[in-house]
Amino acid sequence: MRGKKKTGYIIKKTAFYLLICFIFVYMLFPFYWAVNSSLKSEAQLQMTPATFVPRDPETKAFSPTFKNYISVFKDGQFIRGLVNSTIVATSTTILALAVGSFAAFSLGKLRFRGKKPALYVILAMTMFPQVTVLAGLYAVINKLGLSARLSMILSYMLFTLPFTTWVLTSFFKDLPVEIMESAQVDGATPFQTFRMILLPLTAPALVTTGLLSFIAAWNEYLFALTFTSIEPTARTVPVAIQYFTGVIARQEPLGEIMAASVIVTVPIVVLVLIFQKRIIAGLTAGAVKG
Amino acid sequence: MRKKSLIALMLVFVLTFTLFTVGCSNNTGTETTSNETSNETTENTDTEKTESNDNGKSEEKIVITVAGGAVGNELELTKKAAQMYMEEHPNVEVKVLDTPDLAQDRLGLYLQFLEAKSPEVDVYQIDVIWPGDLADHFVDLNKYGAKEVADDHFEALIQNNTVDGRLVAIPWFTDAGLLYYRADLLEKYNLEVPKTWDELEKAAKTIQEGERKAGNEDFWGFVWQGDAYEGLTCDALEWVASNGGGTIISPDKKITINNPNAVEIIDKAASWVGTISPEGVTGMAEEDARNIWQAGNAAFMRNWPYAYKLGNSDDSAIKGKFDVAPLPAGKSGKGAATLGGWQLAVSKYSKHPDVAADVALFFASPEVQKMRATEGSFNPTIKSLYKDEDILEASPFMGKLYDVFINAVARPSTATAPNYNKVSTLFFKAVYSVLTGEKDAQTALEELELDLQDVTGFEVGEPKAR
Amino acid sequence: MAKNNMSKLAKREEKLAYRLLLPTVLILVLIALYPLGSVFYTSFTDKTFAGADKETQFIGLENYKELLSITIKELPPILDENGKQKIDPKTNEPMYERAIRILPREPRRYKELNQFTLFGKRYVIGATDPNFISAIWNTLVFTVISVALETVLGLAIALVVNSNFKGRGIMRTVMLVPWAVITVVSAKMWEGMLQPNRIGFFNTVLDKLGIGNGQIAFLTTEGLQLPSIIAVDVWKTTPFMALLILAGLQLIPDTLYEAAEIDGASKLRQFFTITLPMLKPTIAVALVFRTLDALRVFDVFQVLLSSRKYSMATYNYFQLIGNRNMGLASAIGVIIFIFISIFAVIYIRMLGVDTDER
Repeated sequence: MRGKKKTGYIIKKTAFYLLICFIFVYMLFPFYWAVNSSLKSEAQLQMTPATFVPRDPETKAFSPTFKNYISVFKDGQFIRGLVNSTIVATSTTILALAVGSFAAFSLGKLRFRGKKPALYVILAMTMFPQVTVLAGLYAVINKLGLSARLSMILSYMLFTLPFTTWVLTSFFKDLPVEIMESAQVDGATPFQTFRMILLPLTAPALVTTGLLSFIAAWNEYLFALTFTSIEPTARTVPVAIQYFTGVIARQEPLGEIMAASVIVTVPIVVLVLIFQKRIIAGLTAGAVKG
Repeated sequence: MRKKSLIALMLVFVLTFTLFTVGCSNNTGTETTSNETSNETTENTDTEKTESNDNGKSEEKIVITVAGGAVGNELELTKKAAQMYMEEHPNVEVKVLDTPDLAQDRLGLYLQFLEAKSPEVDVYQIDVIWPGDLADHFVDLNKYGAKEVADDHFEALIQNNTVDGRLVAIPWFTDAGLLYYRADLLEKYNLEVPKTWDELEKAAKTIQEGERKAGNEDFWGFVWQGDAYEGLTCDALEWVASNGGGTIISPDKKITINNPNAVEIIDKAASWVGTISPEGVTGMAEEDARNIWQAGNAAFMRNWPYAYKLGNSDDSAIKGKFDVAPLPAGKSGKGAATLGGWQLAVSKYSKHPDVAADVALFFASPEVQKMRATEGSFNPTIKSLYKDEDILEASPFMGKLYDVFINAVARPSTATAPNYNKVSTLFFKAVYSVLTGEKDAQTALEELELDLQDVTGFEVGEPKAR
Repeated sequence: MAKNNMSKLAKREEKLAYRLLLPTVLILVLIALYPLGSVFYTSFTDKTFAGADKETQFIGLENYKELLSITIKELPPILDENGKQKIDPKTNEPMYERAIRILPREPRRYKELNQFTLFGKRYVIGATDPNFISAIWNTLVFTVISVALETVLGLAIALVVNSNFKGRGIMRTVMLVPWAVITVVSAKMWEGMLQPNRIGFFNTVLDKLGIGNGQIAFLTTEGLQLPSIIAVDVWKTTPFMALLILAGLQLIPDTLYEAAEIDGASKLRQFFTITLPMLKPTIAVALVFRTLDALRVFDVFQVLLSSRKYSMATYNYFQLIGNRNMGLASAIGVIIFIFISIFAVIYIRMLGVDTDER
């Protein structure tokens, strides 16, 4: 009897780990293919059939090349792009989180008239395709005479701010009313309640939305391309990658593009690893509210 | 208490904002210093100093910005040309602004500048199909001394760049479609270089069957650009023109595409798909075709001159095994190559159009074109340079191209302006529907004719013999 | 007295609420008001993008009519001398009049979109802009299928990652990798894997397994195009869903589960009675933003299908940058806006996120 239960447990456990393995492979394999491609020369990329590791076309021996990585790092634009992307994406995230969480607190926990319209209007801001609003936005930016970085940060609000506001609103709303009421009984102002009690409670939500906005800003291409066009020193990574060219016009340096995208993904992975702790810490915070 | 926190909140908000602005202005600060250091000549810094001391004297430097390509050493060569110009004209600073290599992205960017009537860019590097559409934004270079030099360039290009009698762009470097063939395989199967499409078809079939039997199951006879995009317009125009089917819309604004010769050759091309060309050819652009070709998996390829140098690079599987020829002929008895390449145009919104025009003409001068031909193998647009010994020594391949360029066919971009993009899209979509077997060429071209009438308002006519 | 106090408090609260909303409103007014307003306005004109000094005319709803007009006409059969319907000798199918001769040309020309047979009669659907009508269809199919798959997969992954096991931290990082890869680059990556020959990963593997002959054209074969695109998008954006749902899961208090455990509720029951209802608001918000992005899908379509098949946004790009038809492009923008609003309202109503429980 007990043995049966145990085998059942083992089967369950194995199935679970198999599932995890499957997710792991599914999520990572295309990225592995990018790494694989980034280690191949043009001739190796053209080989048929494609090889799972870089191999010499003649001898079929394992022979990766780091040529793509070297030329990516030699390209001054790329390193500068990393710096620019970091500045722009970080500022965008902080601004969107700060401003968005105020709005979300107001929309999620305070009573006032015109709440529904406010929610819809904020969402409506992000409902147009980027290409459509680009011309108008470019005109505004020109009028204001903003620097390229600032224009990117501001224009990214168009898609990050409604997102943070909405997600945080839904999380604030989820928090039990009693917390606010008991804080108010203790003599705390609504804003103090927000800052000292609600904000820490929604830490996992803050980290999550922050991360998602950061990546969205980090990956944005069309606005960045346009706003940095006459200020090349402000170009972000996606733009810099798009500016990668082959030796000759029309040649697409696929290996280098893959190398660059691998390099670019690393900082984000590190960032996630760092925030992991915050996300897990949020777990314990979640227990408080019950 | 609450007020205090509110004030604090606002403060935080304002602070973050100022931080960004400060951060940004700091950066612009370093930018200018780096610019100054890059202009190492003491003279430059001197003028800049006087400039800042007694605000805006007449000796203020004129800044001309050239927006151009950034491929490989292209940017370097453009900067070199700028340096050459600045040495002769110390009161002018020529800045080079690199733009994306992808033509669509570059056009998108230019359109943003032009829509905003931005004076930031003075000289634009434009594709051969853009002069007609963008003519309104550019000055007439004939008024700035281009008249004297226009005859030195390929006629087709000057004609292409002349809109309503105005020369809106000066040719800079050029391109045309070529037939790449595997010399070693032709020899192996005892075949001649094909002169007609029929010969090509036969040769491709023979080699493909032979190579597959020999064990290379990925081998194909002929690869080309069959995706639904501008590249298909180029390829299909070559088929049609070589078969005496005209150039879609003639220079005198007649719609000529719906004719039996065009129908015949497009149906023929459709028969290649899945036989001598892979099914997937209808998804292929230049690079996809080259990837198959350069791995040694194709006997023939239609492509631009750029693939020559790459095919002969050290790690290429076909290094030294191939050569190029003019594209095969159809009924007309003459092959046709679609004209490509880039031009320089001067913006109407420039603050100094005269200086900008001077820079553009200098960039397109024999001196600079020769430098670019020898150091970067950019094909000159000036006819006499194809006999220049230095150029032929640096790249013997260029001599062969002369005949192709002089006979090249321009796309009807100037005649159909400002609707060329619509015309081209309708054309390649029609051809595409035939290639994929959705329609037969007769039906597709009949419908295309109607569509073209809608878009351009032109009348239907007969194609003229070339 | 107490009541008075309450209303005073309420007023204060309302004031605070407005003040907290102020920065958001300021920013959005600054950057969104003019661009969005001008899109609406331009959609009623024939403005050319970068049209130099060309004058712009106000043309009312013309752009919308141009984009959305649809008609259905019956195709009469072709008869032979005996009054019998002709049969195509090649395909062995009855012949009908060609659509191009039946569809109206005035005041605007209708082009063939599709044909169908109903009760023995042949009909043709004509549209003034068949490309846009199919773009709408492609986008809707893409949106519905990919968002549904992403939600299910995202939920599954979030549940897995939320449970306790060794290497959870690593899994959570791995889970985010697809979302972190730059969109344009990820599209190019997949383009490489989907090559129509054995340069590509899929053809290499499928060929080894004996499927196809190493020449499957994923991106040009009609029936494989949308499934390929959907697969790419599901891979890329499932992490977005998973991460949002994970955050939602973490906010569910453990005590709820503990209580259920004591009541003897099964895991499955717990999932349906606790997890799903508690996740509803999170899923709703995630759905709204995913759908919003899916309806505006651009990069994957642009890189993988270019002009072969349009999504609404790539068609928009084509009209604006290619044809420089800014009026028409703006109208497309507005139509996309309307589609998104409809979806958003449906989600919000169905899942009740905007209702105040208090």
